[in-house]
Amino acid sequence: MSTSAKVCAPPSKGFKLNKSLLKGLTAIFITIVVLFAMEAILKFFPNPISPNAKELAEAVWVTVKLTLAAGAVGVVVGTVIALGNASNFAPFRWFCSFYVWVARGTPLLLQILFVFFALPVLLPFLEFNDFTSAVVALAFNIGAYNAEAIRSGLLSVPKGQIEAAHALGLSRFTIFTNVVMPQALRICLPPLVNNGVSLLKDSSLAYAIGVVELSNAASRIQSATFEPVPVLITSAIIYLTLTTGLTQVTNALERYLSVERR
Amino acid sequence: MGNNTTPTLINVAGVKKSYGSTCVLKRVSVEIKAGEVIAILGASGSGKSTFLRLLNRLEKHEEGSIIIDGVEVSDKASNLAALRREVGMVFQSFNLFPHLSVLENLCLAPMKVRGLSRTKAVALATDLLLKVGMSEHSHKYPHALSGGQQQRVAIARALAMEPRILLFDEPTSALDPEMVNEVLDVMKRLAATGITMLIVTHEMGFASQVADRVIFFDQGEIAEDLPPLQFFGESNNPRVKSFLGRVLQPGV
Repeated sequence: MSTSAKVCAPPSKGFKLNKSLLKGLTAIFITIVVLFAMEAILKFFPNPISPNAKELAEAVWVTVKLTLAAGAVGVVVGTVIALGNASNFAPFRWFCSFYVWVARGTPLLLQILFVFFALPVLLPFLEFNDFTSAVVALAFNIGAYNAEAIRSGLLSVPKGQIEAAHALGLSRFTIFTNVVMPQALRICLPPLVNNGVSLLKDSSLAYAIGVVELSNAASRIQSATFEPVPVLITSAIIYLTLTTGLTQVTNALERYLSVERR
Repeated sequence: MGNNTTPTLINVAGVKKSYGSTCVLKRVSVEIKAGEVIAILGASGSGKSTFLRLLNRLEKHEEGSIIIDGVEVSDKASNLAALRREVGMVFQSFNLFPHLSVLENLCLAPMKVRGLSRTKAVALATDLLLKVGMSEHSHKYPHALSGGQQQRVAIARALAMEPRILLFDEPTSALDPEMVNEVLDVMKRLAATGITMLIVTHEMGFASQVADRVIFFDQGEIAEDLPPLQFFGESNNPRVKSFLGRVLQPGV
């Protein structure tokens, strides 16, 4: 006779490595390798890409940096606005609604131009260089869309979850970080990724204030060489590579979060 | 029933609660002694769940006072923290955290609120899961469990805070009939340990077997407060008779 002693391993702190997570890590790895090898890869392209490989590759990095910076700030802005929208303090809610209304109701191109040209006139201490202006405007814009995505995630957490957490004596902070956020994340991740993909593409509008990102560089090469077809197709391929990498990473993350943990 | 030397643990005096213009509790007063098991009965809308939720401040009362183990139930942060440590709650819809495993559900509050180390919290959780017969499922996620199993985990989760008082808000109402008993069995064993329990329930048989007292709510008031034998057998209160007539089938 044997008594089955159940050994309880402590709850794991970090990520468990599984198939979907591995896929995501592979996608990240491949995207990063492609980014670093961009110049070398473009050298294999026919004229007029090959001689301009360095310029294009540098511009790709600007696009990536714009997207990452505006994306990171945009997620913070979105979270703050979503929380403000759920606040009990009415002026917070009014401010947040006003912000979302403005950011979603005006063209992104106008917002970029405004931050670069008009903002320094109105508030001289808010004079930024072209890159920073583009980051500010893109983050301002994406923040409003992120706020909506995050709000729907927060609303998706059943009230009973929060009551149970209160009944256990958890602090408001712990409830937010350990109960609400992990559940909300699953709901808001897909729309946030969509916003990220849009952001990557919309970063091309920074072209208007002279940021030499991918579209700007492509346009310059095109007008110098009078060969629009290969230049524009190449830049399309680069955008597609980046957006595909991004969606692969998040598809994997989504699957990882949903497996066994609904 | 607790004898007269047992100290009063919960003192509710003149408590009133309304939602908008609807008054759900009007001047409720009651004393509960340490170790008592109280069944709270009443038709839906009679205020019994609201009463329970006032006790751990999930709802706020407008008038009167609630004192639990000498601490006034209020929004004062230190009072609230002390209250929530002392009072555990089990919900009709279980409310387990779906993104955490059974073991993690049990460990979260002891680690975050009581400051237990991971090892100690796991030891405590393992012990409690054994008591509710769920140790084999400690690594599963809530969605993989039946309703009865989830509710047993929820009871263990509430116990992990080592509360003196445990509130049950219709703990078996959301369960399939064949799972009711596994939960009631756990609650019976718990009642024998001396923890103070307040149970809002529609299980009359369970109430008569396990409770020391039956508190009957009707239209926002405590209409009757008797030991179960008297309540089910001798009460001449017309409101009780009408209620029992509706919930008990003829011949039961």
